[in-house]
Amino acid sequence: MYRTAVPLFLSGIVGRSLKGSKGAIVSDELAYARKASGLVRGLSMMDAFAVGFMNQGLTPSIWVVVTLGLGVFLGGNLIYACIISAVLAGIGFPLVWGILGGSMPRSGGEYVYNSRIIHPVYGIAQSFGDAAIWLMWLYVLAPLAVDPGLTMTFNYLGWTGAANWLTSASWHTFLIASVLNVVGFLFVVFGIKIFARVQKVVMFFGIGGCALIGVVLTITSRNSFMSKWNAAAAASTPRGPSYHGFIAQISTQAGQIMPTHTNWSATFGTMVAMSWLFAYAYSIAFIAGEVKRPDKSIIWANTFAILVPFVFMMWIGLVLYKTVGFQFLNATAWNDNNGNTLASMAGMPHGTNFIDLAVYALGSSAAWAKILAAIMGFSYVAFTVWWLALSYLAFPRILFAWGMDRMGPKWFTDINPRFASPVKNHILCLVLGQALLILYYTLLQNTLQNIVLTGMQVTSVFIPTAIAAIYFPYSKRAKGVWDSSPYKKWTFLGLPVIVWGAGVDLVYLGILLYYFIFNSAAKQFTGPSVILFVGVWVAGIVWYYAWSAYNKAKSGMDISSVTYGELPPE
Amino acid sequence: MIKLFYVTDIHGSNVCYRKFLNALPIYGVDVAVLNGDLLGKVLIPMVEKPGGGWECHLMGMYTEMNTEQELADVKKIIENAGYYWVHQTREEFEATKADPKQIDKLFKHAAYERIQEWLELADERLEGKSHQMYICPGNDDWWEVDDMISCMKVIKPCDNLVVDIDGHEMVSCSRSNPTPWDTPREESEEELAVHLDELCKRVTNYESAIFNFHVPPHGYSLDLCPKLDKDMKMSAEEKIHAGSQGAKMVIEKYQPLLGLHGHIHESRGAQKAGRTLMINPGSEYSEGILKGVIIMLDKKKVKDYVFTQG
Repeated sequence: MYRTAVPLFLSGIVGRSLKGSKGAIVSDELAYARKASGLVRGLSMMDAFAVGFMNQGLTPSIWVVVTLGLGVFLGGNLIYACIISAVLAGIGFPLVWGILGGSMPRSGGEYVYNSRIIHPVYGIAQSFGDAAIWLMWLYVLAPLAVDPGLTMTFNYLGWTGAANWLTSASWHTFLIASVLNVVGFLFVVFGIKIFARVQKVVMFFGIGGCALIGVVLTITSRNSFMSKWNAAAAASTPRGPSYHGFIAQISTQAGQIMPTHTNWSATFGTMVAMSWLFAYAYSIAFIAGEVKRPDKSIIWANTFAILVPFVFMMWIGLVLYKTVGFQFLNATAWNDNNGNTLASMAGMPHGTNFIDLAVYALGSSAAWAKILAAIMGFSYVAFTVWWLALSYLAFPRILFAWGMDRMGPKWFTDINPRFASPVKNHILCLVLGQALLILYYTLLQNTLQNIVLTGMQVTSVFIPTAIAAIYFPYSKRAKGVWDSSPYKKWTFLGLPVIVWGAGVDLVYLGILLYYFIFNSAAKQFTGPSVILFVGVWVAGIVWYYAWSAYNKAKSGMDISSVTYGELPPE
Repeated sequence: MIKLFYVTDIHGSNVCYRKFLNALPIYGVDVAVLNGDLLGKVLIPMVEKPGGGWECHLMGMYTEMNTEQELADVKKIIENAGYYWVHQTREEFEATKADPKQIDKLFKHAAYERIQEWLELADERLEGKSHQMYICPGNDDWWEVDDMISCMKVIKPCDNLVVDIDGHEMVSCSRSNPTPWDTPREESEEELAVHLDELCKRVTNYESAIFNFHVPPHGYSLDLCPKLDKDMKMSAEEKIHAGSQGAKMVIEKYQPLLGLHGHIHESRGAQKAGRTLMINPGSEYSEGILKGVIIMLDKKKVKDYVFTQG
């Protein structure tokens, strides 16, 4: 009744053949395998990279870098900020998230690492923060997909009526934002098959559109750009500002001369907005349990998910300076960040974000130019809507991980047999996200938005996890995990590599945190933001103790020792 | 109330088995059920090098061992991952790889040796203790394993039997519906349905019964796994149901109190089918993680359950 065992080439199980190493002659696989069932992991390094890279956003993140980064920190240097960010994040994040993910390859995000290394209550409290952040992104990003996303895309196509309708009343924006929110939900709720297919389409249009922006700015000279800008201004009714006139008018409105040289303090400040491009590949942690060869795949996927945005940001940054000029770029960023309120811009065909600048560089209103411009604008929309989908990927998985640890109702762990996804959690995410959208358009618009979330992500996710990473090799609670970690022997100057990685990570996060706390233009640790940060952590702690007490009353046993404890391996 | 600890698909992993035994007193378990698959899938020859030392391929990496300590360390990694090892000279290795019967013989020798070691360890550690322990193989396990289990003092066999667990009748089945790997204990869906139905008819009280089938029922959330293409390559994007129609039929027909299942490692979860609570604790044996589930059983109801991992 059994089959004869045979030698097999088992890629991924026993690896590739290797001939000749230190004098040894190894002719083939040195392993035999028998026929036996059992599959566990299906996602490749490329799949993991895609999930990480897509959460970096590319086009909308570059928009944030230019509009929010430069717009707030005038004189910041995009190139220097990009290099510093990429070096720090490119060392810190892959080492922290890659080593933690490879050592504990489960799909619950950083909750798994923090709860196992430090304490369950720490894990739940920071995870509460992360869950809240993923939800809050929905109300931040869905409106951004509408305006500036759809409005600029429609304008590029010449559909000014549709573009104006989107912003003519807040309920119009709310309505379309809600539709996009549901679209993000639909991309994920029907299972990973549809998610993966849509992701490929979004990547194609998203990366393609961003590359097009780069190409257009690359092939346009400074003189050509200036003349096209001036021609657009001359053709506008009322007449728009000339290239030099625009800089002068913005300087007057801003109350300061637009900078012509790099300001180092502003450069570090720009890194806050640039974190959108480099710090978000951590979403790979939510699929770590499904990645093949997690010890290698997760760390490399994190690295490539930082390298690719680095290449794009360097390219776009360099060609922006080359084509539009340092001073003009600062003026456009200030203008865009301050709501395009310059009266003389009223008749200009577009705003002044970096995609608009590429469209001005096209310098044509022909059909081909409209299509190219729409592709560039749609790139922004595609990435932003995909962010919504990623919230629907991450939030339900956080709940699933809590449920598996009995830190929530049992239905948190329900998997729909038809779609192979936690449909109930997805629906909960949709309901909560939609409720937040309603709040955003009614009560909260002025206090909770955009960069506040980056601050919360730094304090609730990145810093707590970096601390756990530093502690990991020395944690008694996670001793068994560390002892069996494939990275245990990775040391540098006598210290585990993960400690160095976390140290670099904390330097990077420290720079971001400094600007949140001390810089008047960007600081978020004031009033409602602090209440929000602290409130979410307190809610997480209450949640942990409430469920612990409930579980003990129901089952008569200390669930925490079962779900978070280590078993002796001997 | 009894506390039942259920683990499945440890596939030869030494560390998972030892964690399983250690878990019984730590979790305060009354009854432990270790479901198959028990046997590992890979045998690694540690080939002697001409100038001394050994070489092997492990986890995709060529590995050299020059000292006895290095050799012992690698052996431990192999055993913990659920693999087996065998010492060979270069000549033996070259001769063996061309001889499937010899590989088969080496595989069985290593696999049975480990099972025997496990069973004796359990007897030694559990003798005189209050924990009851049942072992039921899975579809990957050769039939000789049953004979080895039945010879033990403390461990009780349960495959193809109805056993009493503090008033709960537990009926167990190691067989599966066909898989792409053509494993030892497969039956056609029709044969398996008849086999399971015959087995379940021997239960007298379904209200408190436990159906311990290695294979999960088809069409629920416990049997979802990646789709394979014709080259046996896994799809990252598409999941299919790989459970048994026969298991589904008998569970829906007899409506036991509890269904315990394994087989599909990635489908850890719990789901109801009518009044029956069905659970698959999943497996990550290759990572050295012991996944299981503790079930608190009252006479006629499942009071609670908790997934474990350690």
